[in-house]
Amino acid sequence: MGFELTLFNGKFNNALIQKQAVNEVLKQNDLTIRFGLVLTEKQAIELVETRYLALKDTGRIEFGGGVIDKIIYEFCDSHYISMHNYEETLHELIEMFYYYKNETLELISDDDLIKYMKKAFDGVCQGSLDLLSGRELDKLAHNLRCGYDPGYSDDITTDEEYDEDGEY
Amino acid sequence: MENIERISKIDKAKLSDEQYLPSLLEQAYTLGMLSDIDIERIQFECLAILSKQTERYNSGDSSSIRVETAQNILTSIMFTIGVWLKTFHIPDDAALAIKNSTMDDLYQKGRKRIDKMVKSVKILHSTILRKLVDSQNVFYHSTVVDGIKGFFKLYYPEFGAQEIHITADYPVYNPMKKLVGIEFIQEYLKNIYFENLFCSNFRADDIHHLLCGYDEHYQHLLFNIYEPVLAAAIGCVLADTDIQRLDITPSAVSHLNRLFARKSITEIEDTLIRAVTELKQYILLADNLERYIKVSLSLIAVEVKSAVVTQTLDKVFIVAKYPENDPKIYFSFGNKMDNEIYRKVVNEIMQSHTAKDKIDVIKEYVQSLADLEDILLDTELYPNEITEILKELSPAEIAALSKKYIQLEHIDFADLRESEKILYECLCGFIASLPKEQQVWIDKAVRALSEDTISC
Repeated sequence: MGFELTLFNGKFNNALIQKQAVNEVLKQNDLTIRFGLVLTEKQAIELVETRYLALKDTGRIEFGGGVIDKIIYEFCDSHYISMHNYEETLHELIEMFYYYKNETLELISDDDLIKYMKKAFDGVCQGSLDLLSGRELDKLAHNLRCGYDPGYSDDITTDEEYDEDGEY
Repeated sequence: MENIERISKIDKAKLSDEQYLPSLLEQAYTLGMLSDIDIERIQFECLAILSKQTERYNSGDSSSIRVETAQNILTSIMFTIGVWLKTFHIPDDAALAIKNSTMDDLYQKGRKRIDKMVKSVKILHSTILRKLVDSQNVFYHSTVVDGIKGFFKLYYPEFGAQEIHITADYPVYNPMKKLVGIEFIQEYLKNIYFENLFCSNFRADDIHHLLCGYDEHYQHLLFNIYEPVLAAAIGCVLADTDIQRLDITPSAVSHLNRLFARKSITEIEDTLIRAVTELKQYILLADNLERYIKVSLSLIAVEVKSAVVTQTLDKVFIVAKYPENDPKIYFSFGNKMDNEIYRKVVNEIMQSHTAKDKIDVIKEYVQSLADLEDILLDTELYPNEITEILKELSPAEIAALSKKYIQLEHIDFADLRESEKILYECLCGFIASLPKEQQVWIDKAVRALSEDTISC
């Protein structure tokens, strides 16, 4: 290895940042193993890459495990995540997180957004990422942008509009 | 034996004052004092600090940050570590500290040191504020008083330890190292402190008159006050004139010219150093102030040498000037006529067809310069007509009008009405068309006219 001081020349060394992030993500295995969830180094690298691509267009950067760690920590005990969909779900959650972080005009903190995602994912969405993204997070973004409470619902389909069979 | 300094493998001269940590790492690595593994560890540890600082910057709301902001924070972290590493007199020891400590440890020590520096620099600033040079120079006050106060308001070492925030317009005389952040402000204020300390040996009036000799309007010039004061004090020693009054006379300048005529820069500097030693008999010079002055002398020596060659030694050793002794001329614009009559005169002028008719009306009715000025502005005259009217005025009247309009140019020309701008341009054009001697006379008269003149 030659003498590299990219970091100290005011330019970020992506390889170094990635390596640091991967190390931190892999440390989460210590926690998730009890739920039967483990990431390989290759999978961790791909998750960091997903984060990098999601952040790239916004001109932002993240160091260490950051949001990936937080998502893993929050979602690892979900009944809807098992080893066979763990990696894929994490990729989607990461993309979803940055997209809606932007859509909510950053009016909500990382921790609160992740908590909201987890609650909706395990609750009304019953493990459906499509519902989480297309309905719950969309509603949250709309509410925050309009200055409503995050949980506010302007859905006017009250019980009166349904007939006895539950149809319109 | 105690005085023998350890030899450092790392050459201090190769280290950057501004980018101390990167330059130290580079030297230490090149000399084999740090390995590849060390360099990688250092970078990882810096990233970990950056990660923590990013969270703090976002108040825990977000882990991501704009790339530019992250770069600023990283620069701040490196600067902070560098501040601590500079406390090691031998760079090898600093490199050893990097090898044996975590970057977080060095960063925390750096933060504590910066906090201490901020406190001590604040004390230094308040000391300076108590002993300011009593000068009307706007740049001196706006930088030393307001600028530095502004720095303390904006300085936030947590995320921008390397920031200076202010431009520090007022120049200090001795050259400064290329520094940033609190280190720059500390060095800058130290220089200001010594310069003030030296100037405090002389009366404010004497300094004012000396600076008037530099330029009568020195209040608005960006220049160092200490330099002409020091040069004058040394000049007084060498020419045997009154040091306390900074009394450089034209004959003293001639004497100094002869003294330095065939001397080299080194010889000039030696002469100046001897003069400063003699100066100590007359004024108070503490050891640290004397050291500061000696650095200044090498700069003054170069200036003296080039001034001797170009026969401009009077620009280095300035002869004091007393503007209050200059003759003052008072000129009255006179009383204004009755409003009713004025309206009739304006109507008559505006209905006249030729410039001659207009001038005839003016000659018949207008008795004061105050009325003439109003007529020139209110009657929508063409520039050639205004010029014709100006030709009828005496040089003293032209000077009085110039005092009011041409002097305004520097202040609020843009705020003048259209008719005032036309009058201003006509005045400028008319004066430029006069013979040279008359122009010089008007110029002198304008300067001699009292400020009261512009009021009617």
